[in-house]
Amino acid sequence: MTATRRRFIAGGCAALTGMTAKGQPRIAGSFVNDAFLRGHQIRDRAPIAATPRDERIPLVIVGGGMAGVSAAWRLQKRGFRDFVLLEMNDQAGGNARSGANEVSAYPWAAHYVPVPGPKAVYVRELFEELEVLRDGVWNERFLCFSPQERLFLYGKWQEGIEPAIGLSRKDREQFQRLEDSFAAFRAGGGFSIPMELGLSHSPRELDRLSFGDWLRGQSIDSPLVLWYMNYCCRDDYGAMAADTSAWAGVHYFSSRAPEEKGPLTWPEGNGWIAKQLLKRVGSFVRTGQMVRRIERRGNRYLVLTDSVRYIADAVIFAAPTFLAPYLMEGFRPLEKFEYSPWLTANLTVDRPPRGAGTLERAWDNVVAHSPTLGYVDATHQTLRSQVDRTVWTFYWALAEGSPAANRALLLKKDWGYWSEAVLHDLERVHPDIRSCVSRIDIMRMGHAMVRPVVGSIFDPRRRELAVGRGRLVFANSDISGFSIFEEAQFRGVEAADKILRSL
Amino acid sequence: MALVLFISVFLISACGLIYELVAGTLASYLVGDSVFQFSTIIGCYLFSMGIGSALSRYIHRGLVHRFIWIELMIGLIGGFSSAMLFLAFAYTQAFAFLMYFIVTVIGVLVGLEIPLLMRIVRERFNFRDAVAHVLTFDYIGALAASLLFPIVLVPHLGLVRSAMLFGLVNAGVALWSTYLFAAQLGARRLLRAVSAIVLAILLGGLLEAKRITAFAEDNIYSDEIIFARDTRYQHIVLTRFKDDLRLFLNGHLQFSSRDEYRYHESLIHPGLAAIPTPRRVLVLGGGDGLALREILKYPQIDSITLVDLDPEMTRLFSSNSMLTALNKRSFLSPKVHVVNADAFPWIDADSSSFDFIVVDFPDPTNYALGKLYTTAFYRAAARHLSAQGLLVVQSTSPMFARDSFWCIDATLRQAGLRTNPYHVYVPSFGEWGFIIASTRDYNTPTSLPPGLRFLTAATLPALFQFPPDMARMPMPPNTLNDQVLVRAYDRDWKDISH
Repeated sequence: MTATRRRFIAGGCAALTGMTAKGQPRIAGSFVNDAFLRGHQIRDRAPIAATPRDERIPLVIVGGGMAGVSAAWRLQKRGFRDFVLLEMNDQAGGNARSGANEVSAYPWAAHYVPVPGPKAVYVRELFEELEVLRDGVWNERFLCFSPQERLFLYGKWQEGIEPAIGLSRKDREQFQRLEDSFAAFRAGGGFSIPMELGLSHSPRELDRLSFGDWLRGQSIDSPLVLWYMNYCCRDDYGAMAADTSAWAGVHYFSSRAPEEKGPLTWPEGNGWIAKQLLKRVGSFVRTGQMVRRIERRGNRYLVLTDSVRYIADAVIFAAPTFLAPYLMEGFRPLEKFEYSPWLTANLTVDRPPRGAGTLERAWDNVVAHSPTLGYVDATHQTLRSQVDRTVWTFYWALAEGSPAANRALLLKKDWGYWSEAVLHDLERVHPDIRSCVSRIDIMRMGHAMVRPVVGSIFDPRRRELAVGRGRLVFANSDISGFSIFEEAQFRGVEAADKILRSL
Repeated sequence: MALVLFISVFLISACGLIYELVAGTLASYLVGDSVFQFSTIIGCYLFSMGIGSALSRYIHRGLVHRFIWIELMIGLIGGFSSAMLFLAFAYTQAFAFLMYFIVTVIGVLVGLEIPLLMRIVRERFNFRDAVAHVLTFDYIGALAASLLFPIVLVPHLGLVRSAMLFGLVNAGVALWSTYLFAAQLGARRLLRAVSAIVLAILLGGLLEAKRITAFAEDNIYSDEIIFARDTRYQHIVLTRFKDDLRLFLNGHLQFSSRDEYRYHESLIHPGLAAIPTPRRVLVLGGGDGLALREILKYPQIDSITLVDLDPEMTRLFSSNSMLTALNKRSFLSPKVHVVNADAFPWIDADSSSFDFIVVDFPDPTNYALGKLYTTAFYRAAARHLSAQGLLVVQSTSPMFARDSFWCIDATLRQAGLRTNPYHVYVPSFGEWGFIIASTRDYNTPTSLPPGLRFLTAATLPALFQFPPDMARMPMPPNTLNDQVLVRAYDRDWKDISH
């Protein structure tokens, strides 16, 4: 009897599970744009294969991210055309790279620019040229459509990412207190974008402690408030509040005027800006060109790639600065330059999932208390009123734990592991997500963005690099201490101006 | 033998739980307030089971015989419970009473089952084993039912058929028991015949379930449904009561044939009759062809382009004889060109100019539709206006959605157009509003085409007067990045529906 019954129960369970496991179609996909193979050649100082040919050129820009491309944009507008831009990857654009499939264009990393304030003159100049800004009015079609953002909290979606539902008195009071502090810092004017313009009258002492400690000092202990502060640090810096300089934490909230209805965004994110810039300066760009060494030779700089030795009068180093010690003889090791590893995934969504809650699909969709940053809908900026298929860009800053360990994890685990992790995270809010997705492409970035760690903003070495030496100018946004489009563009343009003055 | 017996326990226990879940779900669907519904139904059901258990002590003899009768009754009542409740909701006021009555009856019968079975089984096993085995399978059955119900039954079979299916299981157990306990039974033939009849009735019900639900849904729409289809874009329902034909899209009334002429005459003529020599007209939305019918009253027009998203909608209104009678076969006019496309991208890509543009979209109930009421959209539309061109926008009700109406007006102005708002009374909608927008001056026409049933040139100017309760409200414009209109519309209609 016992044996029979056990068999019966087992059979019943098998029958039940058999009924629930529908034939799920396999989800396709792969890793894309892997950069570490090339990057590690620099790290390991691999020997250069052939003897390169010489090329004489007044200026070499190293790195085709937003800083490098913006430098090229500036030079070209000023009528200077004697330069090349060398990009290691097959596609220029750096964190503004994008992709496209039959459904939509989509971003691989940066996907928006907040409506720029009056101090961001170069950004405004660019946007006027691109007709994003016309006669002082932002083009409605490039401003993020309604509904912009939503947060999944307490089992339902709410509008906006800052928690607003189910707040206790304490939550409310602490949000309000922080808002008041940030407003006071904002009024002080020391937190600006570009950061360089406000730095001199900015509270230096904030860079001596972590944002986490600063919050503790303000007696902020509401889990919901702390979650939101951590979310913002993860979103902009790829780091937890405890690993972020309090100066950077405050900068996030106090550098922008309480916003016009924005931000500016496009289906391919900042890839749209990259495309527009590359339309103008693409002829100067040489992709797939990895710089292997930069040497000072008298008044000249020798920039070596596998095939060419550029003999240049000046160099704009717009690649991530952490590469400099590997490329330049005698470059002192950098200390306050840490970088956050990220993973982004683009999911082809064939049909809208039956989401929990009733709020309409938004552009940016965040789940409270998830380790990830949620997803952005690439077809949100469509003018169509009916959308069947779309692409979601899923963002995940591996912020918890050490960056080195997370980089190792990024490399060690295969596509199956990461795509499963992405689906697992989405399943909390879209239980049927697996049957909606047909493809997941994943991009792993070991050094996605510089991390504004304690002491990094006022780091003397960074200040020294910001000034530059001779005709070697550093332009990556990591010189600012954090990685946003406005900083990269500012440093690129400023570097171009410096070079133009010196040549 | 023993295993077969316990499978019966497993099955009837699953059945019992399914009926309870069906009642709870149905009440939640139809009446709402699911927490209340499930709590009271479970409570009522369990209490009734207690009554059943208590009653079981009055059954002394013929245990198997009575057990089989109980199974058949549960099968029949439980099997039809969902269908009865659906119909009761659609046709009577007694839904709640019937629901608790059915739940009580099933509860009492199910409450009788297990005690009777235990007593039947006791003759084969000792008491300790009987209790353990019967209750074990009872609980496993409950688990199986509770998993099957949401995962398989509701999504794949629906409530009506799920209940019938489990009615069949009950009746099957009854029939099976006549063989299982043949030794203890008299009148086996009679019981088998009755079981067969019950099985046949339930099987019939299972096959006809679709018709039963359709019959019930008919009454939820109050009039006879003569057409219903889910297209890729929307749920189209046409109803008829005597000579009144009504179109619903996604449950929202689009027109009633009794007074749609008021709406469509008002949409078209105040604008179109004011244009000196109209040649080319654009209609955005309006897949019912009724606006076309009015436009075709101007013989000097040589081309009308109609852009509607849903090809099934335009096909239906160009082929169904009842509908073509209503729109006067407007889709068959050689002047009419139908484009099935999403309006905003189409108007962005197209470069032709029009003398009259009709913007007749569904109300801005969500952000996707709200895009069609933005400054960006009106700017794009205005690029298509000829020098003498006018644009008219259906603008929801200035009475019930006053903020929304004036928000649309503000949006058109922000897009650089001059506006001339007006309103009419359409009985099935109430007070309804339109806005004529243009880059030039607008004067109300002094003559209208012959044969109109509602508008006259003399009464036209009065439509442009707004009484104080519908007067202009200061509203911000609706933009793609800040859709104030959708929020205003939501507020407006919430205010009057609560």
